[in-house]
Amino acid sequence: MSTPAHSLQTRSLRKEYPGTVALDDVSVSFTGGKIHALIGKNGAGKSTLVKIISGATQPTRGSILVDGLEVSLPSPRHALERGIVAVHQELSLVPELTVAENILLGRLPKKHGLRNSVIDWRSVFLRAGQVLDDLGVYLDVHEKAGTLGIAQQQVVEIAKAMSYEPSILILDEPTSALAQHETERLFDVLKKLKTRGVVLLYITHRLQELHEIADTVTVLRNGALVGTIGIDQATPAAIVQMMFGEVVQRSRPVDLIAPTEPFVEVRSLSRTGSFDDVNFTVNKGEVLGIAGLLGSGRTELLRAIFGADPPDSGELIIAGQHIRPTSPEQMKELGIAMTPENRKDQGLVQLLSTSVNLCLSSLHRIASHGFLTRTREERLVEKNVRELDIKVNRTDAPVAFLSGGNQQKVVIGKWLNTNPRLVLLDEPTRGIDVQAKQQMFQIIWDMSKRGISCIVVSSELEELLDICHRILIMRAGRIVSEVRPSEISLENLFAACMKEEV
Amino acid sequence: MITTSRIQSLFTNGILEIILALLCVVLAVTASGFLTAENLLNVLRNVSMQGVIAFGMTMVIISGEIDLSVGSAVAFSACLTAFFTLKFSAEWVSLPIALAIAIAILFSLIIGFFLGVFTGFMRTRYQVPSFITTLALMTGLSGAAELITNGFPLTPFPNWYNFIGGGYLVGIPFPALLFLLTFVILQFLMNYTAFGRSVYAVGGNAEAARLSGINVSRVKMMVLGITSLLAALSGIMVSSEIMSGTATTAKGWELDVIAAVIIGGTSLMGGVGRIWGTMVGVVFLGVLMNGMTLLNVSEYWQHVVRGVIILVAVLLNLLQKEKRRG
Repeated sequence: MSTPAHSLQTRSLRKEYPGTVALDDVSVSFTGGKIHALIGKNGAGKSTLVKIISGATQPTRGSILVDGLEVSLPSPRHALERGIVAVHQELSLVPELTVAENILLGRLPKKHGLRNSVIDWRSVFLRAGQVLDDLGVYLDVHEKAGTLGIAQQQVVEIAKAMSYEPSILILDEPTSALAQHETERLFDVLKKLKTRGVVLLYITHRLQELHEIADTVTVLRNGALVGTIGIDQATPAAIVQMMFGEVVQRSRPVDLIAPTEPFVEVRSLSRTGSFDDVNFTVNKGEVLGIAGLLGSGRTELLRAIFGADPPDSGELIIAGQHIRPTSPEQMKELGIAMTPENRKDQGLVQLLSTSVNLCLSSLHRIASHGFLTRTREERLVEKNVRELDIKVNRTDAPVAFLSGGNQQKVVIGKWLNTNPRLVLLDEPTRGIDVQAKQQMFQIIWDMSKRGISCIVVSSELEELLDICHRILIMRAGRIVSEVRPSEISLENLFAACMKEEV
Repeated sequence: MITTSRIQSLFTNGILEIILALLCVVLAVTASGFLTAENLLNVLRNVSMQGVIAFGMTMVIISGEIDLSVGSAVAFSACLTAFFTLKFSAEWVSLPIALAIAIAILFSLIIGFFLGVFTGFMRTRYQVPSFITTLALMTGLSGAAELITNGFPLTPFPNWYNFIGGGYLVGIPFPALLFLLTFVILQFLMNYTAFGRSVYAVGGNAEAARLSGINVSRVKMMVLGITSLLAALSGIMVSSEIMSGTATTAKGWELDVIAAVIIGGTSLMGGVGRIWGTMVGVVFLGVLMNGMTLLNVSEYWQHVVRGVIILVAVLLNLLQKEKRRG
């Protein structure tokens, strides 16, 4: 208690990326000796804020104050020197090095003499051991980091952060990989840090943790600060209200068909470590949503149905045929398409042109006897550009030049050219602007009207409520329930996705 | 305005062609005997045996792989052709020599093709980098060539066999015709077929290609197979030129071939490159060597100049790309 409390403040932080504003005029202050939860949906601006505070990226405008003084943080190293340390969700340990080396990586104590170039191994292990003792955890500092479990590795990450003696510690979803008792131990460590006046920023998706650990809750939405409330005011209803705002139900087209004829039946599909015994049916022309948190197995399920990561067991029944997906090539032949979550790296070949990308999945359909004819290609590309309203100057220029929304349209166009019967869309609206989102909905509805079924995975639950006929809720690798958008509120859908398995 | 931008685009897209043209002009003036039909056809003949492989290598590099075994594959195929000719015409059975040669050529081509497919299989099934497999094949095939020849050149060929590597058809060296034919076929394959498009996609982003329903394994195996087949063809041409199967021929060709491909603007990172570029690269190196020989430049200097050319060409390509991006 003797150390004076630190503080962290941001003033009108703004971050623009080409085409989007990731953070908009965020002014917020955090005091030391408290744990501040930072929450918001995916894309709300949490990670951008963390990146700016930890020096990983530069704000377009605005400033940061540490202990009341304005600081400039051109790199993570500068942030470290200011006592700002971030522990990221992805572990960054070197598996082949010992726990001690990982904790003191880049700052191994050296022996005096010989130009200080010889490592003083005794003090390496001694100091690493001290850091761990301080945290109240027992780990063998001689063990290789790679042999530890995920939870223990997480602890090593935190120990590494603590060895910098930070005044500001940022934890990005530290509990996402931890079991209950490990989480409790982590919380004990955090509470201990509180007493030292450290500013603790805690990012989490697990809202039920808030009351156990946080003192204040700060909510971001669409890059803007919604507000900060004390934990005593943070009722679930209040939090959902802050995270989602006033939800405007978009009007659906009135002529949406009501699909009844089954098209694909998924039967006890399993993939070890991802999802287990998944059963459902998609009807012809149906827009089926899958709601679930990150890590619920939703992406893995889509990839398995598409044959990208084949399932271990189970099968699909498509028009009476029993099928075990083994490769995208096979599933393409059966009329199944997928637009992947990571469209930049998996959906498109960025080096190649828009027109080549549009034809990539249907090469054999376009070619006659394997030979491509330019006129046929051009006609198809022109049709795609017109029907999907792709904003492109030159279709022969690399697709990398297009905006996110237009790239997504190219991915969809690529699959429409195969005449698919079922399109799997993984986060189709991620990182695209509002207008493009609306167009994406329209494209999905148009497909539905033409009898093409869609399975949509999205973190944007309100979007699922808007566009789907039916929504499956996925939790910890299982489909736990099925709802219709007209029968459930956003709050309840959100709660259904969040509920922890006991 | 239109003309300036056209000239600009000629410069950015055709800088190698321009340099090649300039080189030819300089040599025509300075080196006597350069600008004669005979010498130019000679250049074409000299580049043809490495050239046929270079077109295949272009596909391999565009697909994101590499083949270091082509030099040894040439020697192996030359020896194999001689070996089978000997066996089928005298030792195992006594077939007519023409038939024995036909069978030998066919076997060499088929074995060549499957050696490449093997590299592709190791790459796609077991994730062994093609660099490693072909490095192993480079040593292994060279040894195998020594083994089947017992270390001595095999000479089972009749005189007419020399036509493939040394003959003329309508006044043009026959190997040069094979070289041009290979160019036309692969140029067509890469630009006007679904397969060619897949090669670019696989090299540009293998995962995106796979998720587009392209069979990445098949594409890689085919590309490596075709290149290995072309190396076998080259080996047959070599065996005909020197009228024997000799295990020590074509040493180090892999590097000459890769150099020509890179000078032609193909990116070692995959996804980018043109068969035509390789054509220019091959001819460029051929003309340069020929010119320097005519000008009595020592062979040692020729090597140094070639090294410099490779670096400068790659640098020019990278600078151009930067300019286009910025």
